[in-house]
Amino acid sequence: MKKYVFRRLLVAIPSLLIASFIVFLLPRLLPGDVVQLMLEEKAYGKDLEELRAKMGLNRPFYVQYWEWLGKVVRGDLGESLWTRRPVIEELARRLPVSLELGFLALIFAIIIALPIGVLAAIRQDSIPDYVARSLAILGLSVPGFWIATLVVLLPAIWWGWSPPIQFTEFTKDRWAHIAQFILPAFILGVASAAAIMRLTRAMLLEVLRQDYVRTAWAKGLREGVVVAKHSLKNAVIPVVTVLGIQIAQILGGTVIFEQIFGLPGMGRFLFDAINQRDYPVIQGVNLVIVSVVVTMNLVVDAMYALLDPRIRY
Amino acid sequence: MAEHENSVSRRDLLKLGGAALAVGATAQALDLGRAAPAEAQTPKRGGTFRLRSHVQPPHFDPHAILAFSTMIPLSFAYSRLVKVKAGSGVVPGTQQVEGDLAESWSQPTETTYIFKLKKGVRWHPKPPVNGRELTADDVKFTYERYLATTNPNRGTLEALDKIEVVDKHTVKFTTKEPFAWFVDALASTSTWIVAKECVEKFGDLKKPESVVGTGPWMLERYDPGTRLSFVRNPNYFVSGLPYVDNVEITIDTDPASGFAAFLAGKYDFGPEYGMVVRRSDLDVAKQRKPKLQTKDYIVVFGGITWPKLDQDPFKDIRVRRAMGIASNWREVLETNAWSLGHGVPNTAVPAALKDWALPIDQLSADGRRLYEQDTAGAKRLLAEAGFPNGIKFPLETTPGYGPDYVDAVQIGLKNWKAAGIDADLKMKEYGAFISSTIFGKFDKVGSGLFGAWTDPDSYLYRYYLPGQPLNAAGVNDPKLADMIRLQRRTFDVAKRKDIIYDIQRYVAQQAYILFGPSVSAMAAWEPYVKNFGPNIGHDYGGRMMAAWLDK
Amino acid sequence: MANHVQTLPASATPLSRPARRPGWLGVLWTFCRRKPLGALGGVLVLVMILMAIFANLIAPYSYDETIRGARMKAPGAQFWMGTDNLGRDIFSRVVYGARVSVSVGFGAVLLANFLAATIGITSGYFGGKYDICVQRVVDAWQSFPFLIVILSIMAVLGPGLLNVILALGTLGAAAASRVIRGATISVAQNQYIEAARAVGAGHFRIMVRYIFPNVAATIIILATIGLGGAILAESALSFLGFGVPPPYPAWGAMLSGSGRSYMYTAPWMAIWPGAAISLAVFGFNMLGDALRDILDPRLRGAGGGRLR
Repeated sequence: MKKYVFRRLLVAIPSLLIASFIVFLLPRLLPGDVVQLMLEEKAYGKDLEELRAKMGLNRPFYVQYWEWLGKVVRGDLGESLWTRRPVIEELARRLPVSLELGFLALIFAIIIALPIGVLAAIRQDSIPDYVARSLAILGLSVPGFWIATLVVLLPAIWWGWSPPIQFTEFTKDRWAHIAQFILPAFILGVASAAAIMRLTRAMLLEVLRQDYVRTAWAKGLREGVVVAKHSLKNAVIPVVTVLGIQIAQILGGTVIFEQIFGLPGMGRFLFDAINQRDYPVIQGVNLVIVSVVVTMNLVVDAMYALLDPRIRY
Repeated sequence: MAEHENSVSRRDLLKLGGAALAVGATAQALDLGRAAPAEAQTPKRGGTFRLRSHVQPPHFDPHAILAFSTMIPLSFAYSRLVKVKAGSGVVPGTQQVEGDLAESWSQPTETTYIFKLKKGVRWHPKPPVNGRELTADDVKFTYERYLATTNPNRGTLEALDKIEVVDKHTVKFTTKEPFAWFVDALASTSTWIVAKECVEKFGDLKKPESVVGTGPWMLERYDPGTRLSFVRNPNYFVSGLPYVDNVEITIDTDPASGFAAFLAGKYDFGPEYGMVVRRSDLDVAKQRKPKLQTKDYIVVFGGITWPKLDQDPFKDIRVRRAMGIASNWREVLETNAWSLGHGVPNTAVPAALKDWALPIDQLSADGRRLYEQDTAGAKRLLAEAGFPNGIKFPLETTPGYGPDYVDAVQIGLKNWKAAGIDADLKMKEYGAFISSTIFGKFDKVGSGLFGAWTDPDSYLYRYYLPGQPLNAAGVNDPKLADMIRLQRRTFDVAKRKDIIYDIQRYVAQQAYILFGPSVSAMAAWEPYVKNFGPNIGHDYGGRMMAAWLDK
Repeated sequence: MANHVQTLPASATPLSRPARRPGWLGVLWTFCRRKPLGALGGVLVLVMILMAIFANLIAPYSYDETIRGARMKAPGAQFWMGTDNLGRDIFSRVVYGARVSVSVGFGAVLLANFLAATIGITSGYFGGKYDICVQRVVDAWQSFPFLIVILSIMAVLGPGLLNVILALGTLGAAAASRVIRGATISVAQNQYIEAARAVGAGHFRIMVRYIFPNVAATIIILATIGLGGAILAESALSFLGFGVPPPYPAWGAMLSGSGRSYMYTAPWMAIWPGAAISLAVFGFNMLGDALRDILDPRLRGAGGGRLR
């Protein structure tokens, strides 16, 4: 087991390195660099060069990359070219927000998906199965920002109520803090629920067909017990796999909800940085997201190995 | 419509205190206890102004950025030498200048100005400045830093040559050549007076801690992506002001969320830029808030199309005229959610600048034709120019200005097509657009929005003078250039106006650049907000400093 | 000699006539009966494809035709889905929008699966160092947030239909390649592959003739579900300002642009494109699920990742 984890770690490092290179390269391919943007409508010829030199952007690519990598290893992700605040500082503020949103969304997804998946499996190919599956897929088919907009606008028009507009930190007011995540997490969760529901149903179906389950039935065990004790445990494995993928998707795709619900998360931070060509921020955020995802995959693989003794690399 | 529009303007003037209305006047800050006439309302102290910002300030250094997302917050905490008059009686679009930090000023020669500063003005009681008195040295320091080559706003005060300290409260400016707009330029929202200690301590003024000014409020807190909180400056140099204790700006980039919050009563002012509520939302807003105060005004933004004047077929004036005649500015206004039909067409000087814009019925016959849609006439002109089957060219623009802008572009394209002008839309991402297209780096035709300035000179100087970076169409007309330079040197306002009117007629005649209309937007604010009047420009702080909450 | 001839039941088919294989119509009917949801999905998909192909016959107006005096009209006899703020018929725009969605969807999925198949099959087949290296790159690529990849590509290439396809295709390739690789590995272990190699068949021939057809089912399923994801992704991109630019009427752009602006004054501007997106995605997903159930039960749950 330990050997397996160690081997997976080793394998993760080159992935991270390759990712860091891509992370460094991509924003520099964007046309219109940050200096131009800063001088916006008034760029004078020589001023561009001056500003560029000031920011150290006129040195060769590999020099910049090497320097950056060195700093990263020491925990220094640089400073935003616009605000001059350390990237690490901003990330420390925003990463928890995105993670909270992601985890809460995942919890909602599981709460919605598991019962539906179980129901759909047990009552396979019957009306409840069809209804349940249709609802789940519908939840994923309707564009999230549309639901979110309706949820935000309609109560305001009908009752003069809107969700909180300013972000409350956990330290200030615990309940208000959690409350502001509930709506966006729910909508986000509904979308992820479909994938988890599908998987749960599928795995449960397969497990239910197994001989040992039939034996339990034959022995006269109640349906609930059969399902819970014998089948659910085995069905959990691929669900865990999917969770890992979902986290990556959620982390990368929260921009829309962060915008609509005013949550200062990483999605919005990254989006603005890309538009403003703020290279250090783009690199820093990407590196963190990629690392989190790689870590999650590692954890998921480890859990996978733990749960299913047949899996060995 | 505004309740106080015409009734109490003179009293408001006195209330603002320290207002030097004309060169040489020496008004004094009035003690407000004396100045309350019987029929007026007494301003109430206290409360919080709550408003929304749809963009986030990247940083706070006015000498390193153009964006209004920075200038708006700074307008609460800083002061300039002169400011634009504000109050519920001000007509939006007028930019009447009055003293802010300057008690009075005079102009001994065509190129020198003497400004006398108010005495006893104190900086915010915040480190590292710690409430010391403002002196002429601060002014000199500010403008020398302003003229640094890395300041994108530099062009505003390009004409400034020297700043000299005469004594503790007197500054002397010398311009390179006579520049009639100099005092107006000093009232722009980038010329805030900053403190040397902040630059020395922080290296630049980007950090929120370095926002130490002499303005009515002090920046207490900045949470990126969330809020800007201001608290009242106890030592503000106009005694009694500001009335309101706090200003809370919420950063909310989503328009639906912003409007929902407005409906829920979380903002005291309309949620869009300029305190505006979109007309398409107005009915719903009035249902929730029947007593909402509103005032419509022409915004200073509008569409602008640059044809490359040195390329075929745009060299031919008939082709350019055809493009103008084929378009329909009324349709653009009718299909826009902000205006729902209300608005005006623009000439070379935006119509929003009421004191300087020429109404289109005063243009020459050729100029007027540009503003009346005549598809058949456009086709004829094209045929005369040698294009009986129409013309085809790429049009470069960006989706970054929002779906309303994209819709307006669609209308333009449709109307052109009907006249045989086939434009092939080439979209560029906003960041790329703003670093290339607006500087003229496009093929054939580029299109965007104008509206970055509140003075007419900027729209003439920057777009039509050869060599200017924003002269994207490549205008090179010596006669026009001479007229523009002349108005810059003409101090007599009436004569200057005449020249500027002539310029507008000439540009319309030549159809060098084509302009879309400007919407008439509806500003809205809660009934308990008193003595407030909307205006163009980013000076929110200036417009709110003498307003109060009657709650 | 036994006289115990067993009499066959009367309904038995005489041995002289071979059993008839069910025609494709029969297959379809069985499919509908066994998988009604999948059939429903199939119908939705078919409607969408027909709308796309015959748009100019179905739509009463052109997609950018502004009808005079018909701005923001509610759905009625003349304009079945109402008109928008520019006076364009929404029904026509929704019908033409199917073209855009079909192009974006099929284009992106084709690209994604082509890349994924190339990477997945070669990686699974050759194994060894090549596999390890490629998988590291795929790992890295897959960990990237959807946003940075899309925005970077769009910012470099600029907005445009082709660029949206390129961006979405490249993004979808990574996750799909993993699944295809997994399927390739299990197929490659079969005896007949060994046999083919023993006979001297080249690698390329083996991959194309033996592996690909067996992996095809996987690819089809991934593709069907991926189509739904691509359509949703296009609408999310439009919201962020990077979708398909005009003049093409894309459902996502209609929903997130002026549809959103007038959401309560003229809700029909948003409802119809929104419904179109939802039904199309729903259809693709249901169809994909049903196909998966039938074609390859081992794959259940493998297509978990989704672009939002």
